[in-house]
Amino acid sequence: MSEIRLRVNGEEHILDAAVGTSLASVLRDRLGLTGTKIACAEGHCGACTVQVDGVPRLSCITLAHTVEGEVTTIEGLREHPLVDAFVRTDAVQCGFCTPGQVVSAAALVAAQPEPTREEIRHAMAGNICRCGTYPKIEEAILTWQD
Amino acid sequence: MARLIRTEKEVEGRFEEVWIVVEEDPLEQWPAGPLEVVGRPTTRKSGPARVRGEARFTADLRLPGMLQAVVLRSPYAHARVKRIDLAPALALPGVRAGIGPGEAEGLVEEAGYSGAAVAAVAADTFRQARAAVDAIEIEWEELEIVLDADEAVRREQFTADPRHYERGDVDKALAAADVVVEATYRTQSVLHNSMETHQAICEWTGDVLNVYISTQFIWGVRDAVASTLEMPADNVRVVCEFMGGGFGSKNGPDEYTFVAAELAKRTGRPVRCALTRREESTAAGNRNATVQRLRAGARSDGTIVALDGEYTNAVGWSGWNASTEGPMKMLYDCENVRTTTYGAKINTPPMKAFRAPGFVEGTFGLECLVDELAAKLDMDPLELRRRNYAVTNEGTPISSKDLEECYRLAEPHWERLHEVHSRSELEAPPGYPATPGGRSGGAVWKRGVGMASQIWYGGGGPPSYAWVRVGSDGRASVITAMQDIGTGTRTAMAQIAAEELRLPLDRVDVVLGDSARGPYASISAGSSTLPSMGPAVRAAAADAREQIEDIAEQRGMPRDAPVHEVVDLLEDAQILGKGARGPNPTGMSVLTFGVHVVEVAVDVETGEVVVERVAAIHDVGRIVNPLGASSQVEGGVIQGIGHTLSEDRLLDPETGRVLTSTLDAYRMPTIADVPEIICEFVDKPDTHLTNLGSKGLGEPPIVPVSAAIANAIRDATGADIRELPISREEMLRALERAKEKERRGAPAAV
Amino acid sequence: MELLRPSDLAELDGGVFVHGGTEVVPLLQDGLLSAETLVDVRGVVPRGVEGNVVGAGTTLGELEVEPGIPDALREACRLAASPQLRNMSSLGGNLLQATRCWYWRLDYPCRLHGGDRCHARDGEHREHAIFANDFCASAHPSDIAAALVALGARLRTNRRELAVEELYRLPDEGDRRTTTLEDGELILEIELPEVEASVYLKAMDRKRWSFPQVGVAVAKIGGETRIALAGVAPIPWRIDTIEALDAATPLPRTEWKLPLARALVKRALASLG
Repeated sequence: MSEIRLRVNGEEHILDAAVGTSLASVLRDRLGLTGTKIACAEGHCGACTVQVDGVPRLSCITLAHTVEGEVTTIEGLREHPLVDAFVRTDAVQCGFCTPGQVVSAAALVAAQPEPTREEIRHAMAGNICRCGTYPKIEEAILTWQD
Repeated sequence: MARLIRTEKEVEGRFEEVWIVVEEDPLEQWPAGPLEVVGRPTTRKSGPARVRGEARFTADLRLPGMLQAVVLRSPYAHARVKRIDLAPALALPGVRAGIGPGEAEGLVEEAGYSGAAVAAVAADTFRQARAAVDAIEIEWEELEIVLDADEAVRREQFTADPRHYERGDVDKALAAADVVVEATYRTQSVLHNSMETHQAICEWTGDVLNVYISTQFIWGVRDAVASTLEMPADNVRVVCEFMGGGFGSKNGPDEYTFVAAELAKRTGRPVRCALTRREESTAAGNRNATVQRLRAGARSDGTIVALDGEYTNAVGWSGWNASTEGPMKMLYDCENVRTTTYGAKINTPPMKAFRAPGFVEGTFGLECLVDELAAKLDMDPLELRRRNYAVTNEGTPISSKDLEECYRLAEPHWERLHEVHSRSELEAPPGYPATPGGRSGGAVWKRGVGMASQIWYGGGGPPSYAWVRVGSDGRASVITAMQDIGTGTRTAMAQIAAEELRLPLDRVDVVLGDSARGPYASISAGSSTLPSMGPAVRAAAADAREQIEDIAEQRGMPRDAPVHEVVDLLEDAQILGKGARGPNPTGMSVLTFGVHVVEVAVDVETGEVVVERVAAIHDVGRIVNPLGASSQVEGGVIQGIGHTLSEDRLLDPETGRVLTSTLDAYRMPTIADVPEIICEFVDKPDTHLTNLGSKGLGEPPIVPVSAAIANAIRDATGADIRELPISREEMLRALERAKEKERRGAPAAV
Repeated sequence: MELLRPSDLAELDGGVFVHGGTEVVPLLQDGLLSAETLVDVRGVVPRGVEGNVVGAGTTLGELEVEPGIPDALREACRLAASPQLRNMSSLGGNLLQATRCWYWRLDYPCRLHGGDRCHARDGEHREHAIFANDFCASAHPSDIAAALVALGARLRTNRRELAVEELYRLPDEGDRRTTTLEDGELILEIELPEVEASVYLKAMDRKRWSFPQVGVAVAKIGGETRIALAGVAPIPWRIDTIEALDAATPLPRTEWKLPLARALVKRALASLG
């Protein structure tokens, strides 16, 4: 067991965890932030995407003890205009992949506020959606400032 | 006045007769077209909760003292447990209980497939449970394995008796036909891979078992658990407020639920049993592979005179024999049809219903065969389909069929064929570099257009019930113990209630997800949610409205006075309306129809297939929410593309173990793989079907995708696709076959 | 398991190195790798691009948008993995990743795991190698490695300097490793030569986030044309001419990779003029 200090959504957390504990499991099991989902637990699907210093990363294969920087989860983005855009365009079906989608999308529009379709597809290709909500997700990102 | 009647109910193509209590007189359907709320694009009520990550899925629930259960699964495709000793597992830290074969439903002694559940352990943490399972001492007796479906058929190893069907005289008709085509089609095993894996949390509170489960059928789980555990059904409470996808794989409790229930009983603590992604890919079901040996005969005027199909479903160790032959029997007006369908029992993970089971696979074979027939007849594929239009379902009238309207709507998309063919071969698909001079150094793209028709069920059926509660604040709650699997069910129900009550949508809430808090609701599968629950909600809302109007009259107000003005005096009193789904139209088939027109670009040197455009046109009766409906269509099309191009559940041929158990090996479409999708609906109410006239839409959009893509590829390249997925290997092979055919002087299919 | 975070190369003393973690962490979680000590080397591996030298700690995501590197390397990075993985994975780590062969990943007792057979050869091998596949039929998954081999890049580790090609070796009966990296050896920098032109073409099973079915890197350096392929052999595979593809030894279900490789090599050469 050893100590981790994490800044998540602007708040500081200090806790003890075994080395090898993933960031995803700290967020979900220790901090109660269950908005970040685990769908594959091995870095293949993007459902667990969080931002570290604004950069999208896979929390399920990030060791909590190696995190440097500010973690932003979906809970920290609930006021982001993308949330309204996703709801307005119906860019959500079962909703399990959606938090990860929003986290990746928020990083994209922070770097590029008016992305082209190709830029959206390239930046969002790591967030798998089995329900096939992709066309609406693209629409949400194209119109997020409306 | 309650009436007891017997009526027919269909789910996933399987029929059963049910007794239902019908409570009220049927309402008149609304007129066609958008109304105040119904028929208008509506954003999801649960949208904000899901998008913000506030919706709690079964995977997110944490009960105090909850234990984690891990299942020991057979590594062998066929083996018997000779000896099992849980003691070493139980001795490990954090381990609270363990169970072996027979101690919970689904834990077997004879494993018939790699991944079959044999034992389970509950511990404080997942890691401890995992370590404990690894410590279980187990000796196996390996048994013979059969992995090939054709081999199983040869040995007469079936999951059920083979199905035979015949009408007319196929052999005579084939002999007399002017043109005959014959081909064997193969489809692969496909995994549902919902984003939330199968899982349940069980907790006993006294005699009551609480089951929190990611499911498509709250009441089915309740009944199956109650009957298996020999408990009164009302002592089983099933909860599912949000669930992360099912697509047919989550229609029942399965072994993880019984494991959790038994371990919870033994430990006195809540127990979660959740499949890992690898278990999900192995033991949570699949769309079975098929081999289809088909023949079609036609007269030179395009009348299809004979259809003959031998279907082998690679069902697996157990499962049911899906109706792969359904489209051949039902889609066209053909007098002579013969089908034989084998359900091969093999040592592979059992199939589970997956979005139009049987019909997706069967439509691929049939609609490709029809296009091969069109080519041989030198006839336009749309024209050939029109010539063989079936007005009835093998003689039974159809409650509503607007496939001809779908064909009409398809015409402008079909006519794009000329424009598509005239495009430069150097023009790359969107996202690709242009050539020449660009980075792909000379890729040449052959383009084509293809189509395929769709037939499926989607009428739903009784029973389903809803309550509507209206309070003095003028707000209404729709209450029913149903699940919302992400198809927009909550929202559609709210729209229906709002329309009937003449309330604005934001004054209507929907309460669902708990079998203890609401009446029986149908399964969310088989495209049956809207046609089953929708009419019940409308009936309940009508009942409430009737009472409100009576009160208005008593108050000396007009009957159609605004609701909130009428009920403002209620204080704590409430208006309670109840409604039930009435019977299906007697003596009629309720079916859905559609057609897809697909444009592809094929790089014939590398075998890459790019789907550029899909026009998806569907007849599913009245559309309640055009926004949600378009999402269903897009989702089905995209799942169909994955099925067609890149998804393949592979097994090790020696051991029968699943090799593609991770999401990098099992490749589902990403956002980058999505074509332009145009979605159109006929949107005419089925005037025979319930007080709503709506049919289900969940499955129709996936059905014709693979055939339309294969037919577009034939149009582009002359190659006949005979196998799914259309990997580069298959595409290059098909191109080679086409070249060979040309070399031998036989005319290419185009 | 303990985690160390050295700030100087001199502090390195055994353990399993981890940088981005995209390979090591899943392998640890899976039990394919075990470690008593994890050594986070982000403090000692250079990161960033300075002239012709790229720090091995530079992420693929950073290189994807780096204008000052050859096209083949940038394109290989752009088409590799997923955006999140590119943000996390280091250049050095990417070169050292293991095969995606499902038998290896599912811990079958295959040759690379020290066993005595290649399960893919007799089993399911449709994504596997067409060269040097007798002993082990696995395919090398790294786009970046193929690009660097074509570019004739050199590596500097904490022990030596070597051509990228020399990092790789074919596994054999006596030694099952596919890299020549010694225990405790850490890749620090990659040095790129002056390149006239280069290109990377990649065939994938879906448009993005997929390992190379065949990846072709071609570079023109000082009048010489160098070609290297990903996805066709247990290590990045260098060929001198397109005709060298005729010497491929495909397995029954990897034959399809041959026309694909030919087409991509032809196009890559054509695009460089």
